[in-house]
Amino acid sequence: MSELLANLALGFSVAANPHNIGFCLLGALVGTLVGVLPGIGTVATVAMLLPITFGLPPVGALIMLAGIYYGAQYGGSTTSILVNIPGEATSVITCLDGHQMARQGRAGAALSIAAIGSFFAGCVSTVLVAALGVPLTSLALLFGPAEYFSLMLLGLIFAVVLAKGSVLKSVAMVLTGLLLSMVGSDLETGAGRMTFDIAELSDGIGFTNVAMGLFGFAEIIRNLEMSQESRDIVKAKISGLMPTRQDLIDSSGAIARGTILGSILGILPGGGAVVASFAAYTFEKRISKNPERFGHGAIQGVAAPESANNAAAQTSFIPLLTLGIPPNAVMALMVGAMTIHGIVPGPQVMTKQPELFWGMIASMWLGNLMLIIINLPLVGVWVSLLRVPYRLLYPSIIVFCCIGIYSINNSPTDVVIAAIFGLFGYWLNKHEFEPAPLVLAFVLGPLMEENLRRAMLIARGDVTVFVTRPISAGLIAVAVGLLVIAALPMMRKRREEVFVE
Amino acid sequence: MVEGAKTSHSGGGFRFKVRGPRDFYGGLALIGLAIIAIWTSGDLPGIHGFAFGPGTAPRLFAGLLAVVGALVALTGLLVDGPPIERYAIRGPAWVLLAIITFAGMIRGFNLGSISIPSLGLVMSTFAAFIISIFGSTEMRWVESLIAAVVMTAFCVGLFVYLLQLPFQLWPWI
Repeated sequence: MSELLANLALGFSVAANPHNIGFCLLGALVGTLVGVLPGIGTVATVAMLLPITFGLPPVGALIMLAGIYYGAQYGGSTTSILVNIPGEATSVITCLDGHQMARQGRAGAALSIAAIGSFFAGCVSTVLVAALGVPLTSLALLFGPAEYFSLMLLGLIFAVVLAKGSVLKSVAMVLTGLLLSMVGSDLETGAGRMTFDIAELSDGIGFTNVAMGLFGFAEIIRNLEMSQESRDIVKAKISGLMPTRQDLIDSSGAIARGTILGSILGILPGGGAVVASFAAYTFEKRISKNPERFGHGAIQGVAAPESANNAAAQTSFIPLLTLGIPPNAVMALMVGAMTIHGIVPGPQVMTKQPELFWGMIASMWLGNLMLIIINLPLVGVWVSLLRVPYRLLYPSIIVFCCIGIYSINNSPTDVVIAAIFGLFGYWLNKHEFEPAPLVLAFVLGPLMEENLRRAMLIARGDVTVFVTRPISAGLIAVAVGLLVIAALPMMRKRREEVFVE
Repeated sequence: MVEGAKTSHSGGGFRFKVRGPRDFYGGLALIGLAIIAIWTSGDLPGIHGFAFGPGTAPRLFAGLLAVVGALVALTGLLVDGPPIERYAIRGPAWVLLAIITFAGMIRGFNLGSISIPSLGLVMSTFAAFIISIFGSTEMRWVESLIAAVVMTAFCVGLFVYLLQLPFQLWPWI
């Protein structure tokens, strides 16, 4: 316990450095700014803003990126409360009740409950990350290649089960992602694989290009199809930002439950913020005494998913920082950022660079505090941003993305690759394939292959190694169990119900 | 990638009726992708003793993808599903053209007989902005030009002056 406090103290001394506070504030601010824009999700926001952290020292860069992440998430919920189109997947759920509240003139209360819920969830999950960091890092030492492979397999299965739509199609997306991740030079032999002799592909397809294409460009192409008139911004002036005492009483339970659920789902590989907010909303509705109020402006319907997605956003750092496995697309971008600064994510970060590890954890809390301070007074600014017509917004997003992608490697080819993935994403959407499992598989692909090959080599070609080693066998069992449950007809119906809600 | 769209009405060549065209053609396209992957990784060495070769994993996953793709296509044959939505042409075409233009102008390129010198950040950004504007049916000239100038200035200010990233600004510097 005292060790935990000492570590946190170290973290806060790093985070409280005026420069780092500045980076954190700037990150949260820019993240919110971009996150508020309709049609840009968290992944696209973080990918877009990645280049602006290149010039910073490593600690500052990561603190800023973390700030961007929370900011983007919070910005997204502002959009979904005020306009009936969610800025991103995590806030789809917030739309349901948040926008209804706004129409009833309670936009202020909805916004502040979202902020308070997020802040509470942020406080709890910061402590959780700090507390679980040390034990999980020692767990990582027990992990051999077989265990790593099984864990990542479990993560992919989670992503399949938790994605909406058909399980079979999600599996197909996972395999597509794995396949795409193998384009480029082979790690061990250096042989070019599936590169079509294109020199630019010999380093593989950059993850930022894939993310930007599937989540940025594809989204824009899709939005252009829809009539822009359907946007429905709350015109009334937002008054009464402070929630009433009754609001706080009503939502406190939902915030607590959302935080717990979100923290758990965030740690699981393949989970993350989107799933957490869906789950928290459904759970809250199920246990509510008057579920008919949900969808008509129930404050619990805002509080629970907002707390859950923030908690999950934060606990999803745990697998990244302790095991070196990115559990979702945003964390994969973090890996990219860390690599650029010469940090290899994994258990060694905590021992070798304690100031980075604990500084980042402390800045998570600080970032949440800043969000609550900057966002509530700045709501007016965000609202005016929402009034920018989409016909001017999307060209700006496109050029910004282009410059961002180009600046990562100074490579025009990367820009073209992102454009191709934009078209691919549009096609996937028309055929109802989910991009999320593809992206996760793309990220985990090289790690999985490496560990699979190593495991097979150590076991001298014996495939049973994955089920004879206890930890690995346990992980595989959970994965198979999940897949079977998800494929059962009864559960399938249940899943559809959940996603329709 | 788009080959499935053209034949969204069940083609005369099929003896079965395609009930779920989204799944059916989606699955077929994935099988196609898997076949391309198997074909391009075909000459890579495979398993050697206990060790995986560079070609093992790609062929393994491509094979699995072909199987799952076939299952998805089969679902499309057997289960009723909604028709494939119409593909828009205007939006994707202009957006794509804008992005490609940016990529071509920023560093210049040399493709056989056509070559373009690098035109720098200012012109590339401005051109990409203007081209992408045509993707929307709601464009207005004056407003768009002003927005393009403002956005270009903003990007130059942010990336070049504030973030100090190495960009060539104009064709001549």
